[in-house]
Amino acid sequence: MTESKRYQNRIELMQGTLDMLVLRALSLEANHGYGIAQIIRSRSGEAFAVETGSLYPALHRLERQKWVKSEWKLTESRQRAKYYQLTASGRKQLVTDHERWLQLVRAIGAVMEPEVQA
Amino acid sequence: MRIRPWQRAKQDLSEELDSHLRMAIADRIANGEDPTQARAAALRELGNVSLIKDVTREQLGWVWLENMLYDLRHALRQLRRSPAFTATALLTLALGIGANLSVFQLLYSIVLANLPVPQPTEIVRVHAALSPFDQSWTISSPAYERLRAATPDIPLMATAYADDATFQLPNHSPIQVACEPVSDNYFSGLGVLPAAGRLFIEADERLGQYEWPAVLRYEFARRTFGTAAQAVGQHILLNKKQFFIVGVADRRFLGDITGRAPDIWFPLALQATGAFAIPWDSLGPGHDVSLDKPWYNQPTIFWLFLTARIPPQRRAAVMAHWDHVFRSDRELMTEATADQAAKTQLLGVKTTIAPLSENGMRERFTSPLTLLMALSASIFLVGCMNLASLQLARLDARSHELGIRMALGASRHRLIRQIVFEDALIVAIGTGCAFACGRAASVILIRWASNRNAIFTLDLHLSLPLAALGVGLMLLSLISFSIVPALLFMRSGVARTAGSSARIAGSKDTACQRLRSNVLLSSQVGLSLLLSTMAACFAATLVHWETVEVGMDREHVLTVRPDFHQPKYTNHAELLPALYSQIQQRLQSLPGVRSAAVEMCGSIHCGWITSLYVQGGSNLTDGQVHGQEDHVGLGFFSTLGVPFLRGRDFSSSDTKGGQPVAIISRAYARQLFGDADPVGHMVGYGPAPADHKFLIVGEVADARVNGAQREEPPIVYMNINQNPAPVNSIRVRTVGDPIALSESVRHALPDVDPTLAIDEIVPLSVELNGDLGTETLLASLAGIYAGLTLLLVSIGFYGVMSSRTRRRRKEFGIRLALGATRAHVQGLILSQTGRILLAGVLPGAILSVLALRTASHLLYGSINANALAIILATVVLALAGTFATLVPASRAAYVDPLETLRDE
Repeated sequence: MTESKRYQNRIELMQGTLDMLVLRALSLEANHGYGIAQIIRSRSGEAFAVETGSLYPALHRLERQKWVKSEWKLTESRQRAKYYQLTASGRKQLVTDHERWLQLVRAIGAVMEPEVQA
Repeated sequence: MRIRPWQRAKQDLSEELDSHLRMAIADRIANGEDPTQARAAALRELGNVSLIKDVTREQLGWVWLENMLYDLRHALRQLRRSPAFTATALLTLALGIGANLSVFQLLYSIVLANLPVPQPTEIVRVHAALSPFDQSWTISSPAYERLRAATPDIPLMATAYADDATFQLPNHSPIQVACEPVSDNYFSGLGVLPAAGRLFIEADERLGQYEWPAVLRYEFARRTFGTAAQAVGQHILLNKKQFFIVGVADRRFLGDITGRAPDIWFPLALQATGAFAIPWDSLGPGHDVSLDKPWYNQPTIFWLFLTARIPPQRRAAVMAHWDHVFRSDRELMTEATADQAAKTQLLGVKTTIAPLSENGMRERFTSPLTLLMALSASIFLVGCMNLASLQLARLDARSHELGIRMALGASRHRLIRQIVFEDALIVAIGTGCAFACGRAASVILIRWASNRNAIFTLDLHLSLPLAALGVGLMLLSLISFSIVPALLFMRSGVARTAGSSARIAGSKDTACQRLRSNVLLSSQVGLSLLLSTMAACFAATLVHWETVEVGMDREHVLTVRPDFHQPKYTNHAELLPALYSQIQQRLQSLPGVRSAAVEMCGSIHCGWITSLYVQGGSNLTDGQVHGQEDHVGLGFFSTLGVPFLRGRDFSSSDTKGGQPVAIISRAYARQLFGDADPVGHMVGYGPAPADHKFLIVGEVADARVNGAQREEPPIVYMNINQNPAPVNSIRVRTVGDPIALSESVRHALPDVDPTLAIDEIVPLSVELNGDLGTETLLASLAGIYAGLTLLLVSIGFYGVMSSRTRRRRKEFGIRLALGATRAHVQGLILSQTGRILLAGVLPGAILSVLALRTASHLLYGSINANALAIILATVVLALAGTFATLVPASRAAYVDPLETLRDE
């Protein structure tokens, strides 16, 4: 049992960032769940493999917040898939999330590399 | 089929994950992977689909609802699977909660509820003066007008009591309705709003109208005309007077006297028409009043009751002012007595107020209803205990199933929730039934509690306290019969379900369980003893009053109520004696009739209060000269079975022109003459200067003419043939059961006078017992409760002992094999029942003694006599318990020892 409590030195998606990434992935065009996962994976240089078990709850969570809306459409390969699209309030949320994220990065940067900031 | 939103969401999600999988596989194949491998890899990547679905759905917020629906479906299935338990639980809850609700409904509407008007506590009765003879709080019409004018800003309302009237619609048969004459400011002063139309205004009191205004009670209007609005504007006949319905009172307003709800209100001015019988009082027979003329300007006819709305801070000032204004009326009232002390005392009386609740009803019913509430609570408790032991047994039987579910990973929390959910369903349905039964039961209770002649009309609308009680009992029963047993079971049950080998380990739990069911059963025995004792005592009290010596032949007299108040008879009163004689002869010629006689009084509590002064006698106090007066025909005393003590009966020689004669009862004779012989004395209605014209010719024994529970009043009987007037009853004494003769009496009367209407024919015993409202209520309800708990206790014994003997089957088999006799085995089981009975009877007896002490004023007979009831109830309980145990005991005693040993 003690095994899992051991400190894990691995980069993990921080709490809340997945929602931001999903919103960002949808900011260009509507997409389905699989497509969103692919976008995040390829843009992160394969660093983040978004787990299905996190992605879909996130999508439904965002939909409940009315930040995305969904509809069933056909893909290029003529398959039915549920497409998610950013709403106006989702776009606003993305801007806020992004700003907060930048603040966080700057703050962490300042702590980690004070000489660069100076 | 309609798809529910959460089902659609679920389907949607499945499709979405499917499409995800398909795209992933297609991508991998496009990248050159083998289709089989691609599929396996994609599935691996996707992860646990059900888990994803669950987690995702949680985001939607439907899951709790879905689980709830699952639990509901599960609960329904479980209930369907055990119909016996479901039915028992439903019945117990419906009865237990229903009993409490119905008694509380009565308690609330009679004792607790206020008048449904704004600021009900401002409304008070005004007690200016007690009328000289009837001792009622009535005043004259001129006095009322003066008091009202003296305080124009204080609404002072007047009401009168009126006998039931005949109500008729065109093309309908007439019915009897309750009505109340009220002053024009009655509704506005109380603050009652109309449900339709308008209520009374000043102009309604104008005399000489062709059509009189009337206001209807809501329920009466709805029953008669369909809706309140439809009633407004209708023309009706009331005692043959034309009325016009101007409005309907608010639906919650049932009049200002608890229990007595008038169907129709009309203006006081209607008195002047003489169409309605209104009780009145005056200064006594010596002071003439013109009853046939309107009463509104006669200061010596006392007939109006006062009600006012006075803010508390102004009460003292208003009372003082009214006292001043009322002074002249007090002086006038002193003329009613020759007793100097009484005169002085009358002048010193001050006007007082009393809350509306002080109306006798509250005093009469508070303690019986509180007691019944306590008894109802105990039957609810017994029911809950029974259900709790049933529930424990049921959980025991399900322990295997529950254990397996727990082993498969069901959470304890979820299991308890499911069990409680199941029971909540039963409780909810049971409470629903309880509200329905409770309402029906209230109607029956009201009937029991009412007097025979006046069925109470009470507001049975759902009130907040009633709803709160219902919900409270619901929660209480849920906790006691579901949550607590489920928790108890869960705590002890887990170890036992670990495996079948845990049977030995479970023996400690079984001992604990045994104790639990023993305690439950003993408590039930105790409460059952309490209820049985009370039932026996109340039944004995009722029987006592129903059979107590009343000084009359109560079982063989029939009372016929004819309607002589028609112009045909009242305008020719001198012809009445001959008619009475014909009626008497006709009835006496009927087979089975011993005698018949006419009487002015129509029912019990009827005789009017009078005063008698003896010629040449010393000055007596009011208490000595006051008595009751009744006018009767020939043969009255032999018809009622009242024996003569001295002198003679009225005879046909006592005629209108001759010497007026009177017969007095023992109590009146004692008041006026002490132990001396009253026969031969002259008496009159007034002191010395007044005429003492009546010659006392006889003295009769006392009789309880005012009801079985009231003292025999002092009473003077005058000969109706010497002062002919319409009578209100014809008494018939029969040889056998009087009811058997009622039809032949009804058919014989038209032979004498075909136009004479008969309102009612009723046995005297029914009339006398009609007064025993609270006694009937207590005896009936306590009897039902006692029977129910006895049944529950018997079932409890049977159930517990059956399951125990089943468990000890092997042991009994071995005992028998080793030489124990069957009687010994039976004795073993019966001794267990005995111990439980004993443990219950002792506290139950103490409880019963305490209850008897508190209720002693409702019971007839000494505590000792009632203690006998405890012993009786104990014997009955012991018998019931023993019989219920005998079945499982003999089953155990006839176990075949060989079979048992083979099993081992």
